[in-house]
Amino acid sequence: MAASALGWALRAARQVLPLPRTWQVRSYYVDWRMLRDVKRRKLAYEYADERLRINAIRKNTILPKELQEVADKEIANLPRDSCPVRIRNRCVLTSRPRGVKRRWRLSRIVFRHFADHAQMSGIQRAMW
Amino acid sequence: MWSRVRGWDAAGGPCRLAMRLLAGPASGREAAGAARREGRPHSKIQKLFSTSNIVSTEKDKSTTSKDSSTDVSSKSQEGTAETPKQKLLDIIGHMKVEVSYRTKLQQLKTREIKKQATNKLEGPDSEGAVPRRTTEDIQRGKPLNPELVEAVSAVASSLPLNKKQTESELLAQLRRHEETTDKQKRGGTIHLRNVISEMAIKRQSPAQRGVMLSRRISLEFDEDGRRTKPERLSPQSSDSRRSLKGGRRLNIFTKASTEPENALKTVSSPTIWDLEFAKEIAAVTAQPPRNGFEEMIQWTKEGILWEFPIDNEIGMDDGAEFHEHIFLEKHLEGFPKQGPIRHFMELVICGLSKNPYLSVKQKIEHIEWFQKYFEEKKEFLQEI
Repeated sequence: MAASALGWALRAARQVLPLPRTWQVRSYYVDWRMLRDVKRRKLAYEYADERLRINAIRKNTILPKELQEVADKEIANLPRDSCPVRIRNRCVLTSRPRGVKRRWRLSRIVFRHFADHAQMSGIQRAMW
Repeated sequence: MWSRVRGWDAAGGPCRLAMRLLAGPASGREAAGAARREGRPHSKIQKLFSTSNIVSTEKDKSTTSKDSSTDVSSKSQEGTAETPKQKLLDIIGHMKVEVSYRTKLQQLKTREIKKQATNKLEGPDSEGAVPRRTTEDIQRGKPLNPELVEAVSAVASSLPLNKKQTESELLAQLRRHEETTDKQKRGGTIHLRNVISEMAIKRQSPAQRGVMLSRRISLEFDEDGRRTKPERLSPQSSDSRRSLKGGRRLNIFTKASTEPENALKTVSSPTIWDLEFAKEIAAVTAQPPRNGFEEMIQWTKEGILWEFPIDNEIGMDDGAEFHEHIFLEKHLEGFPKQGPIRHFMELVICGLSKNPYLSVKQKIEHIEWFQKYFEEKKEFLQEI
């Protein structure tokens, strides 16, 4: 008992003293659209293999057409959100659908904000 | 040279002088032992004991004479046995006297002198010296090496004075040497002479010699004025004298038997409480990083920092050989051998073999899915 109590005390002290980490903790998505986008991405990941295989049967000149029509129907029966086309690359911080740079997953406004505060690694104001 | 002249003993007979004279030119030839010994600085103790000069140089003389004799004999009997002569040379060459055991040697040599004096007294009295020696040989039980005996006879013949006496003396020396070796082998009562002879045969390593020289040269004094270095070095030298691996075993310690750990814990998987406890211990003992290196180590363990040099196939390599990736035809056994389906599957396999991003498992899964799919559609396909 005493040892555990001591351990607790030590751990608490060590947790507080050496590294006071403070940053933004996001427990919610920015808006509902972002949440829906997240759901779509999850489903797309789940059904990716199946869609690929069924599409391989569909986009085919060797197999009989009847088989391909059946495959068409099958893929249409899959949930709508499983297709990757419905995914929109939104800004990670503001959920802005447009003006998002793919490398940083940020909208142009947020990017500019961080770059000016020197919080983007390797980014510098261009001048030539 | 002065040591030899000074060390004229009353017991020294004419043969001794002869040996000493012979030793003069021979010492220059000799490689081991004698030259080294004479080169050593003569300390005060050695000068005090005039007999010790004879003592230290007597065995030297005998060895040198033997060497010279062996050289002579080797010249005379060239083709017959060269390697045993060389062996003899080596044996005699190794039989050096260590300077540190000077006093012990002195005792030994005084004993030897007395014995040889008695022998010499008996020698000229008896006419049949040679047959007596043979009876003594028989009495010992172990006959001497005939080659050595031949060498001894050759030596005796080469020397100008009193062949029989020299022969007898050399034989006696040989016999003593063999006796000591036999006793050592049998593990009999330890005589001082045997111990010394055994130690004499051993070679002194250059490291030891360096240590001893350094000991003599530099003597550090404590605050009290006592010598510290020799005390420290003596246990080391004693250890080196007595080899760690040689010698008889004492059988004090028994070998720790490697018992198989049969006592398995009843709880096969660790409980939640054990895991929690382990986590607690790890958290408590984890020290914050003292420097940037330790921080980077911590990051690498967590997975934040990659391991350098960067391995491009870190998550991908499943340990499968290239042939498992490429030759996938063996998975096509469930499919019909003719028809469009086979054609289609062959295309699928061709595509999969060229795909470097999938693991073998994933590829097999693809093929199996297709197999299942086509089996489900079999009735439909047969209608067509």
